[in-house]
Amino acid sequence: MVRRRLWGLIVLGIMVSLSFHACGGKKRPPAVAQGGSSSSYGRDASSQAPLPLDSGPDVQPIGNDNTTGSEFEASDPLTGEGGPLEDIHFPYDQAVLTEEARGILEKHALWLQNHREAKVVVEGHCDERGTAEYNLALGDKRARAARDYLLSLGVAADRLTGVSYGKEKPLDPASNEEAWLKNRRAHFTVSR
Amino acid sequence: MWVEARAQQPSADASLVFEDLGTQRFAIPDCIPKSGDEASREACRTLTQVLKSDLQFENLFKFVPDNLLAAIPPLNPDNPNMIDFGGINASILVVTRAQATGSDLSVEMKVIFVKSGRVMLAKRYSGKADNPRVFAHQASDDIMTLTQYRGVARTKIAFTSDRDAQANRRTKEIYIMDYDGFNPRRVTVNRSLNLLPAWSPDGRSLAYVSYRQGGPEVFLAHIYEGRSQSLTSGKDGQAFAPAFSPDGKRIAYASSRGGNMEIWVANADGTGARRLTSSPGLDTAPFWSPTGNEIAFTSDRSGTPQIYAMDSEGLNVRRVTTVGNWNDAPAWSPSKQWSEIAYTSRLDGGFEIAVKNLESGEVRQITQGQGSCEYPTWAPSGRHLAFACRRGGKWQVAVADRLGQRVQLLPAGAGNNVYPDWGP
Repeated sequence: MVRRRLWGLIVLGIMVSLSFHACGGKKRPPAVAQGGSSSSYGRDASSQAPLPLDSGPDVQPIGNDNTTGSEFEASDPLTGEGGPLEDIHFPYDQAVLTEEARGILEKHALWLQNHREAKVVVEGHCDERGTAEYNLALGDKRARAARDYLLSLGVAADRLTGVSYGKEKPLDPASNEEAWLKNRRAHFTVSR
Repeated sequence: MWVEARAQQPSADASLVFEDLGTQRFAIPDCIPKSGDEASREACRTLTQVLKSDLQFENLFKFVPDNLLAAIPPLNPDNPNMIDFGGINASILVVTRAQATGSDLSVEMKVIFVKSGRVMLAKRYSGKADNPRVFAHQASDDIMTLTQYRGVARTKIAFTSDRDAQANRRTKEIYIMDYDGFNPRRVTVNRSLNLLPAWSPDGRSLAYVSYRQGGPEVFLAHIYEGRSQSLTSGKDGQAFAPAFSPDGKRIAYASSRGGNMEIWVANADGTGARRLTSSPGLDTAPFWSPTGNEIAFTSDRSGTPQIYAMDSEGLNVRRVTTVGNWNDAPAWSPSKQWSEIAYTSRLDGGFEIAVKNLESGEVRQITQGQGSCEYPTWAPSGRHLAFACRRGGKWQVAVADRLGQRVQLLPAGAGNNVYPDWGP
């Protein structure tokens, strides 16, 4: 874990210096749409969006030589649990990403940058309150929110699949606040 | 399916007698075995008990208590003494006899009007002896043909259960059972998540949600042929919460394939899919009106989940529920007599079953304060409801009459049993 964090920091450092270099050295074209079209999201240096990590003209792909490469433990293929990417959590009956969740997703994007053979199923889960159908819809919205943020960070769309499990696969089957908190999550099932 | 019925001289004016249902008092003496063997006696015991239970569940008749039946001379099935039965204030006498022969069972039933001694209904059933309950169910439904209502006894309830889940895997499968919770049978065997079964109107297939290919998609199980058919998969986006139109020609479901969770409708084979709603909120849980002209659904477009209705082309959306901050999973009564929608409502922190009368606007609560209940479904007559309740940490299917006066858990067996759908 510590080693992974360390590599993450090193890679982040490289990314940041590369992007500064790119921004300063080239005259960038103006944003696609003056009115703030969402199509320029993540690509326009003047926007507050994070820079793309996976692709785009500004960043060199980084090889596996400075990472742990393909050495990672995938999620349990039967249960989907475990794996290298920690869960993010959601407030009750909401699919908005908290600041904490965004921070975790940014780490995930970096990890995915360094493990290009990894594919991820982004699972949206809910606590047991409310009906099956509503929670399937809410879980879909949660999975979509997490996936969209990873996409905006530059992770390639074909590596990310979204699935809603609603309230059907609670991490903790108990019926209390503590369990509900754990169960309102996006989980990342990682495979090679 | 198992039973062949043959009517013997049904009385032409029988229905007249049943016009005032509340005043009829049934005497159902014990079934009389035609021979002394244990198989016939055992079949008779089951028959009497199940027939009484079926007719009581219909909630239309009165019954002569067992202690009064025991007080009169034993029934002579060939020549019942109407004076005896009149003396204990019975108006309708049901005489049953059974004969087990090897693996076969034959049952006779006569329904007699005590006042005149006239036979209103006479039936003979024959079939396999392995499930005597089905004979009683058919007899009950035949008695119900003397009323204006369709009997409930041979209907089936589909549901989802984790009873066969393997260790460490949260698998759920689809099952069906008799309306009284007996005779459960497994439908899906794919060891994945299988949820939210919905009967086709002809009772021969079940639409359901399965994760067998990864994400949730709608499949159709042809339950008497043992095969399934994919309705939505391979179309980029998840789909769940299927519901058949009353004519069985169309199927509505919720899907996020357009980027947001909306209500979609397709032909019954999954072709011709098109989107009906387009709100930025979550739209889910579609359910058809009995005419097929409208669809009720859940939407959180107002901020919290509420029930809405629209016409079946997706126009004229209107809000149905106005009381409470969480109303979800509508089930439109199939009855022509009562225009009402059952749904799940959050009250005081727990979830309960409620019904809204669409004509008067009145809301009545079916369950109260005994643990969460959700996911109501109507019997085909609209006279009863089933739903799932959590009791003692376990989910179980429960049934109630449409006014919510009698709520009872079904003996549906092991595991958590949820998402009931009451079929034809």
